[in-house]
Amino acid sequence: MTTENPFRVGLQSERAPSPCVFVIFGASGDLARRKLLPALYNLAVSRLLPAGMSIVGFALTEIGEDEFRRSMHDAVAEFSRRKPIDESVWQDFASRLHYVAGRFEDPANFAKLRDKLEAIDQVNGTRGNRLYYLAIPPSVFRTVNDNLAQAGLVADPTDRMRFTRIIVEKPFGRDLASGDALNADLHRVFAEGQIFRIDHYLGKETVQNLVALRFGNAIWEPIWNRNHIDHVQITVAEDIGVEGRGRFYEEAGTTRDIVQNHLLQLLMVVAMEPPVAFTADEVRDEKVKVLRALQPIRGQDVARLTVRGQYGPGNHAGKPVAGYRQEPSVSPQSIVETFVAMRVEVDNWRLAGVPIYIRAGKRLTKRITEISVHFKRVPHVLLSQQGPVEPDVLAIRIQPDEGIGLRFVAKVPGPTMTLRPVTMDFRYGATFGGSGPEAYERLILDAMLGDPTLFARADEVSAAWRFITPIHEAWARQPAPEMPNYAAGTWGPEAATELIERDGRSWRRL
Amino acid sequence: MRLSLDQVERELARLWDAERQAGASRVGLMTLVALVSEPELLDRAQRVVADVASVHPSRTIVAVWKPGTPPAITGDVGIHRPREGGAACGDAITIEAIGEAREWIPGNAERLSLPDLPVCVWWVGDLPDFDDLFDRMVVGADVVIVNSQEMDLRDLEKLSSIAMRSQRRYALADLTWIRLRWLQDLVARFFDDDAGRAWVPKVQRVTIEYSPRPGESDATSTRAGLLFGWIANALGLRGDGAEWKRGEGWSEAKLGEVVVRFEQHLRPNVRPGGIVRLAMECPGAHFQIERLEDPQTFRWSRNLPGVPTPPHVMHVQSVDESTLLVRCLEHPARDALFETSLHVASRIVRPVAPRLSVQPART
Repeated sequence: MTTENPFRVGLQSERAPSPCVFVIFGASGDLARRKLLPALYNLAVSRLLPAGMSIVGFALTEIGEDEFRRSMHDAVAEFSRRKPIDESVWQDFASRLHYVAGRFEDPANFAKLRDKLEAIDQVNGTRGNRLYYLAIPPSVFRTVNDNLAQAGLVADPTDRMRFTRIIVEKPFGRDLASGDALNADLHRVFAEGQIFRIDHYLGKETVQNLVALRFGNAIWEPIWNRNHIDHVQITVAEDIGVEGRGRFYEEAGTTRDIVQNHLLQLLMVVAMEPPVAFTADEVRDEKVKVLRALQPIRGQDVARLTVRGQYGPGNHAGKPVAGYRQEPSVSPQSIVETFVAMRVEVDNWRLAGVPIYIRAGKRLTKRITEISVHFKRVPHVLLSQQGPVEPDVLAIRIQPDEGIGLRFVAKVPGPTMTLRPVTMDFRYGATFGGSGPEAYERLILDAMLGDPTLFARADEVSAAWRFITPIHEAWARQPAPEMPNYAAGTWGPEAATELIERDGRSWRRL
Repeated sequence: MRLSLDQVERELARLWDAERQAGASRVGLMTLVALVSEPELLDRAQRVVADVASVHPSRTIVAVWKPGTPPAITGDVGIHRPREGGAACGDAITIEAIGEAREWIPGNAERLSLPDLPVCVWWVGDLPDFDDLFDRMVVGADVVIVNSQEMDLRDLEKLSSIAMRSQRRYALADLTWIRLRWLQDLVARFFDDDAGRAWVPKVQRVTIEYSPRPGESDATSTRAGLLFGWIANALGLRGDGAEWKRGEGWSEAKLGEVVVRFEQHLRPNVRPGGIVRLAMECPGAHFQIERLEDPQTFRWSRNLPGVPTPPHVMHVQSVDESTLLVRCLEHPARDALFETSLHVASRIVRPVAPRLSVQPART
């Protein structure tokens, strides 16, 4: 039966997912404790979890269900955005928390998992619906997926009676070959429509608001093109260091950790064409076109159009901090980049010739993620007696203090025609008050609903690697710059300033 | 300090100058006009609009009237701040009309409204049967907000008629309807899957228990009536020709094959009007949402043959009037489902609701 629920018609309420079992592989890990369980608990508080929805943690740690529940209670108490825990909600939530201990390599553990899931189906009416979350290193993905398939825990994608979906965390590979291999591995077991590659940036309210800003207002579209935009800057700056993730960072570096996913996602939303509809494939089709249109940076161009850096000792908020090479699990001779800046161009009808300057790094002056669209100067200096008029800038602040600012010029009161740039600020917090849901809440709910709009598609990941991998390859061939080349607490290496100043522009003061 | 109304803007500008020096920016999303039908509701209205302004930075105009002579209208201004402190977030204007100056309120409220932004009119308290002030205020409004909880059963007909009269010029919103949203969502969840949906045409009996207002003597409360209006609409019942039976603290209406029973269930820890239990029965299946001992905790349960569904216990935060108003203003648009449910509810209760008096002839 596929008739519409008459009680939903016209109802202004949240979307309601079907009951399912949410299985977290790696349930004792940091991601589960800090993000996943708090997000699920907050969905429960918001009454967005369906009746019967159950959660099964799967991890190596040999603990019983009661201990798992206690441990998750502590995690939610510490990391939930809502404090303190509402014990009446928790009791109901905890009654649907289960745990399976075992090694991912052992098929017997997946038989045990299957028995557990079937028992939950019987009691909770979850009807064979499964949502798997791989909060584990990519090196184990294949083993888990194969064992899931062998245990009969993956429904056919055409099965209309039950669903199986899988959420995969980044990194989605470390270059084009491994990214494609990872996708191929996933596709051996799951259809693309069952795979949800999570990039939590896309769950952020402001990123979605960027879509709303561009396509919900008539004033931007006519000027959102090469005729009016001089250049774009995208900054993803963190003031913290690698925070104990030295081993991971030695493998990844900023390009893989931030640029290949978060930063390119922001770039895609800035540069994409209006989709025909706000549906998963329409939106993702347009985003992929942007990646395909990125002018490749290869060979000699890499040295000219990219800058990599690594922080040395410096200070953060007035306190001395160590350099990258002094961080735990980092080689004292490491040449891994903790900062990247690039000048990229999108070769399409809309933005051809418009430089997009991107930068991302750790231990920079402040934590800020911002997109700024710099419009062209007025064609003729008619009004000012003080030289050129400052161009208009539209700044979209992603974090912190999410909002949108517009800089334009105004006349200074007085007898002369003196112009000064002024800023009109819109702050989401000040305007709408309160805080919205965390990105993980939004994205987990979308996955339960089967809406992949805010998740990366295989061709998107592949296209991103196709752009990034030649840069890595060229870096590997070329001598690395002397590292460290910027002090912690600064805006990165001098070469990043030169990258943009060569074009007669400068980084926006943030 | 009472001001003449032409001093209001100047005084607000002066207050904002001081705020700007402290770094505040003046943001406005709308003008919210609260018409306070009884002077004793003034404090409540001022508190609520202040809370709303901290979420939706606005200019608020609270209008109150008192009998007396000579007719006069004066204003008082201030600046809204979030209750927990922080930057200024809106203009607070209170206007007080004496005697016949009540008639001047609409024109002055319009003059004081922010240009080019929506105007939302909130009628605080019970609606009079016939009031020219209400009709004149809604003319320029984008949203008109009432709270049917504060009204009697017969007012459903009145609201239904207001919704029809709006002719889509403004959106009629009801805080009680907003309060019902979470409950509607839980009811809808009974039928989200195919297994549940199959039982929709088989529903034979609906029971709604509610905590009555002191001395409530109507056949049901406005909230329970509105809730059933929505259920009836979803079940495809038009609402005409209901056959009613009444007893002490209960009433039943038969609409075709479906019987609805309204039952008073006094719970001292449940606010008047609160729904205590909602059950829907079919031969062989049962759906129920009931309030537990903790008045903010509910159990959702469903018994379907061959489809195990565990009961679901959930805590529902108590929602105050400010929050309802904020939610209402988040989607300041016409809600067709509300209007339809209101019309259906109005038709169902018509046989047991005291009729509106005949409108006096205009002189």
